[in-house]
Amino acid sequence: MAGLNDDGQWIILMGFVVSIIIFILALVASQSTLVGKTTSESVMEFSKTEIQDLRAEVMYLKDKQQLHGDPIDDLKDLSMQRKATAVEINKWTDPNRVYIFIHFNDGITIYSEINDEEII
Amino acid sequence: MVDDGGQLYTIEGISAGILMLVTAYLVISSTTVLTPQDVHITDVQLEQLGNDALAMLDTRDYYDDPRSPLQEYIFQNDTINKEYFAENFTLYCNSTTNAVKKDKLRFNATIHYINSMNKVSSYVYYKPDDYDYYRENAVKVSRWIYLEKGPLNDYPSDIRTGPNDPKMVLMEVLLWRA
Repeated sequence: MAGLNDDGQWIILMGFVVSIIIFILALVASQSTLVGKTTSESVMEFSKTEIQDLRAEVMYLKDKQQLHGDPIDDLKDLSMQRKATAVEINKWTDPNRVYIFIHFNDGITIYSEINDEEII
Repeated sequence: MVDDGGQLYTIEGISAGILMLVTAYLVISSTTVLTPQDVHITDVQLEQLGNDALAMLDTRDYYDDPRSPLQEYIFQNDTINKEYFAENFTLYCNSTTNAVKKDKLRFNATIHYINSMNKVSSYVYYKPDDYDYYRENAVKVSRWIYLEKGPLNDYPSDIRTGPNDPKMVLMEVLLWRA
């Protein structure tokens, strides 16, 4: 190595470092198997219509004064057994307001709402 | 006589070449699963269509109507109302912008209720006579149905609530394209 010009060693070292980093990144990329989940699958998983239907039905039952007893029990039991969805519906009042609590959980989406309105 | 200057550059060149070759090999040989983003688009559209059709049927025509058409069909629970249901559901689902050409969606409908053992029982509400479900790619849509009493005809004997009690049943429609 007699007479070898040893200038620019930092540049050479950095070149090595950068190429080794690229190499490691390539290793990582080769290990990751890309399994795709489609947008439309996510759209179908999201229980938009179930929540809309449940909410509409609860409001309908409120108008019919049926937010207790058999209809609500049927709703909860059918939700659990047909849709694997936990549904909780409660109604309580204080002197001038009525509150309705709606809870929906199908394992992927959780929806909770407290609807309140003034008693006229 | 071979000049031995620039040995470090030679080493660097060779190792860089090997690095690039190995990197290219790794990238090319890595498994890539390409997932087309539109594979389930038709299912999404079918599900939305079915839910919308049920929502339309479950909307009262006039504010003072006692029941929505869908509630009425299930409340009456007789042959003529099942035909009405099938007719209207077909109309809503199979209409296209072309007045002559109709879509070819097919469906059957099941009513689920809670029986006296607190389990789910069901009966087929509507099943077409001329075709059946043979495991086509189908979607399931459902709608809650409130009945203040009834159903009037073919009352399921094992239902938890009495014939005159308010109850909730679940209508499930299986929808597929023929």
